[in-house]
Amino acid sequence: MTGPLTLDMVAGKMKEFGVSEQVRNNRIRITTTPEKVHDTIRTVQAMFGFDRLITISAVDNTMTLELVYHLTGPHRMVVSIAVGLPRELPAIATVSDILPPAAIYERQIHDLFGIMFRGHPGLARIVLNEDWPDNEYPLRKDWKPNPDTFYGGIKGERS
Amino acid sequence: MPEVVVSIGPHHPALKEPVNFRVIADGEKIVRLELDLSYNHRGVEKAAEQRDFIRVLPLMERVCGICSHSHSTAFAKGIEEIMQLEIPPRAQYIRTIIAELERMHSHLLWLGVAAHLIGFNTLFMWTWRDREAVQDTLEEMSGNRVHYGMNEVGGVRRDLTPEQLNAALARLPALEERVNKYVVMVNEEETMLIRFRGVGRLSKEEALRYGTVGPTARASGIDYDVRKDDPYLAYKDAPWNVVTDTHGDVYGRTRVRVWELQESLRIVRFCLENLPEGPIRVPAPKNAPKGEILSRYEAPRGELAHFIRTNGTDKVERVDIRTPTLANWTSVAMCLVNQNIADIPVIVAAIDPCLSCTSRITLLDNHTKKAGIISFDELVRRYRSRNPEDVQP
Repeated sequence: MTGPLTLDMVAGKMKEFGVSEQVRNNRIRITTTPEKVHDTIRTVQAMFGFDRLITISAVDNTMTLELVYHLTGPHRMVVSIAVGLPRELPAIATVSDILPPAAIYERQIHDLFGIMFRGHPGLARIVLNEDWPDNEYPLRKDWKPNPDTFYGGIKGERS
Repeated sequence: MPEVVVSIGPHHPALKEPVNFRVIADGEKIVRLELDLSYNHRGVEKAAEQRDFIRVLPLMERVCGICSHSHSTAFAKGIEEIMQLEIPPRAQYIRTIIAELERMHSHLLWLGVAAHLIGFNTLFMWTWRDREAVQDTLEEMSGNRVHYGMNEVGGVRRDLTPEQLNAALARLPALEERVNKYVVMVNEEETMLIRFRGVGRLSKEEALRYGTVGPTARASGIDYDVRKDDPYLAYKDAPWNVVTDTHGDVYGRTRVRVWELQESLRIVRFCLENLPEGPIRVPAPKNAPKGEILSRYEAPRGELAHFIRTNGTDKVERVDIRTPTLANWTSVAMCLVNQNIADIPVIVAAIDPCLSCTSRITLLDNHTKKAGIISFDELVRRYRSRNPEDVQP
């Protein structure tokens, strides 16, 4: 699969996973559901050669927590697979088993948004310091620093 | 022989930036490696949500001191695409000139650091001296050596005068001559061949599997380069080629970088000689419409991705930055396995890590070749058990 890839080719094959749309000349976006993400990625990998994970982006849109998986491949098209997760108990299956670089991105999202990745080999803290309080996720829209909480640095000094 | 844990960093004379390596070694050979990079998290992404676009650009420049133009360009071109602004060709060319000068000073800096790490300090002095010529050009054009402040949403902030163009062009022949010399040196100089060849090798399949980007990937024969794959700025007009090599080791990564210096020089020369006339910016609206964009940019260290979501106001809803160093860590842990402890600095340096962009951790298991992490207690347990299975590669 190295030739140019069109929306028609992708949309037809990906119908069972969700709606495909062309957002830009070389970008395709597939909106799917959390249960189908793993299969969607496996399918675009096998069928269209999307084997390179650019990044996983996370957004808090105040209703849901969205994850967008951006993949590319030898044809240089970019597919963005988007899902929404409920804000209370957000959880989704890890894709680090099929895409090893995902492990590091998922840990980062877990730190900053508190999304649980089921089956991840180790969701330990990665970008936040060791003094950061548990269950505070700074990139969520409703997060506000609490003046009485210690967030790291030197105790007694304002960080 | 039992495994030994060698802890290096975050404060260590051999390290240029705060990072902690826990190297699990069997004699001189590395069995596993744990990286801890969480010393530099500054909350830039959260801060970007609180500021309007004009104030976000200087913030983006300060994500990194070396590739500051990369971050501000990636952000500006993303916002411009959401606003459907067509920025003038002259601004595109000026952005390209700064971008390629930035790549040149970054690669020259890297070549010097790599030479220094193998004890070849003559080359370190030479490349850093030549880098000054690039820095001087940047300073003349932008007023700054580090954070250029050239970008704004809708174009660039400073025009280039004919005098600046001529001064920059006058510096190019000497630089071209020096870079050609480095190309010969990298391929023939005994000191470099001995320390770079076969060190930190990554096959094409591994490089693909572990998601490497930039010169690290291209040294393993992967021809991904955002400048070609998803053309932006003036890269469609300029004559240049994607550089790849098949060695996949530090030697290959060095070759790719010196060849990229030659390509960057060609691009800079082309843009300086063919700089279009016209305005350098278009007025940008205050607010951006609702939208989202993945803005990709080939930074000196590899693909940089800014995922931007706007909400109809003058602030971003979310900007998610994925730096090239983060994408390359998994492969570093991979290529250190079975290498000598003495080669750690040069293998780590070969991806040109930029830690203030990136604060992450990873661990690689030698037996299963699986990337992941284990807890400190688990590490201690494994070490204490002295299980022969844990020791033998």
